[in-house]
Amino acid sequence: MSLERFLTQVVPVRQKLYRFAFRLLGNEEDAQDITQDALMKVWSMQEKMVELQNMEAWCMRITRNLALDKIKSRKYRLSDDLDRAGEVPAIHQQSPHAAAEQNDVMGKVHVAINALPEKYRTILQLRDIDGLSYQEIADVLDIDMNDVKVNLHRARKSVREKLQNLQVYGL
Amino acid sequence: MDYKWISDLLEKYWEGETTLEEEAMLRDFFSVPHADLPEALQEAAPLFQYFNVEAAKDWDVPPVMLPVTTPVVKLSPLRHWMKYAAVALVAVGIGYALKQQQVRKQDAAIALRQQEMNDPQKALDETKKALQLLARNLNKGTAKMQKLAYFNEATSLVEGKND
Repeated sequence: MSLERFLTQVVPVRQKLYRFAFRLLGNEEDAQDITQDALMKVWSMQEKMVELQNMEAWCMRITRNLALDKIKSRKYRLSDDLDRAGEVPAIHQQSPHAAAEQNDVMGKVHVAINALPEKYRTILQLRDIDGLSYQEIADVLDIDMNDVKVNLHRARKSVREKLQNLQVYGL
Repeated sequence: MDYKWISDLLEKYWEGETTLEEEAMLRDFFSVPHADLPEALQEAAPLFQYFNVEAAKDWDVPPVMLPVTTPVVKLSPLRHWMKYAAVALVAVGIGYALKQQQVRKQDAAIALRQQEMNDPQKALDETKKALQLLARNLNKGTAKMQKLAYFNEATSLVEGKND
């Protein structure tokens, strides 16, 4: 793979890789490191690029594996979800009170999603936030498409139950 | 307002049967506030609002540190021929010196021996030594022959051939 090809095909994907790494690791610094490591790994495995059908999915898979390795090796501790809940911006800031209420609700949704097992959470985020197709998710996670559907269904069901339990909607 | 279609769509969503387009419709629907939403829809509203917020988030992505590539320069094996020639010359020189030293030692040893032989006393001593060695070996042979003679004599006695 030439440098030109790397610049035109791989570098533009870096935002997606960074966002993906950030969601897995929960912190900017580590997400930056993992994104950089993933790009370097892609560069070092350039001879494989010729055979690839979905390069973006391959890059995301590398990012995920590196992030999961980091979590395992350092016994990574995600920062407290409740602390980060305040970072979620409000959509309709009608008033400071409404904005605070909105943030509170968003924070609880965030907690509910982050409490899911990693596989469920990743599938849900890739589908409902990034808008990836079942096949694309299957490529990223290197699993069967039916597994994606089953796990997505379970993830949504679990989120629904968690949100009901948290009584978010009664506030 | 009729919320039946969105309620049906939401039910489909919970079952994991919606398409990407239908999910986009759900997000669009919940991106604006609606009055008098049924409870089932109120339940789902924060989730889709969260998805919208997350999808619209700007990420401060760090610049990429591009891999530094250095062009590979192929070196000709004859590029440093003078070095190789110098090493070969030194090796030949050392080899020649060692060989010469060996030859000189051999010559010196022969010359010393010849010098020793020119002295009559030393030559006599050397000859004596050589003859003594020869005599010792001959005596050993004689002793063995005597034993053999005794054996023959004994054999003749046993056979009664003794006169």
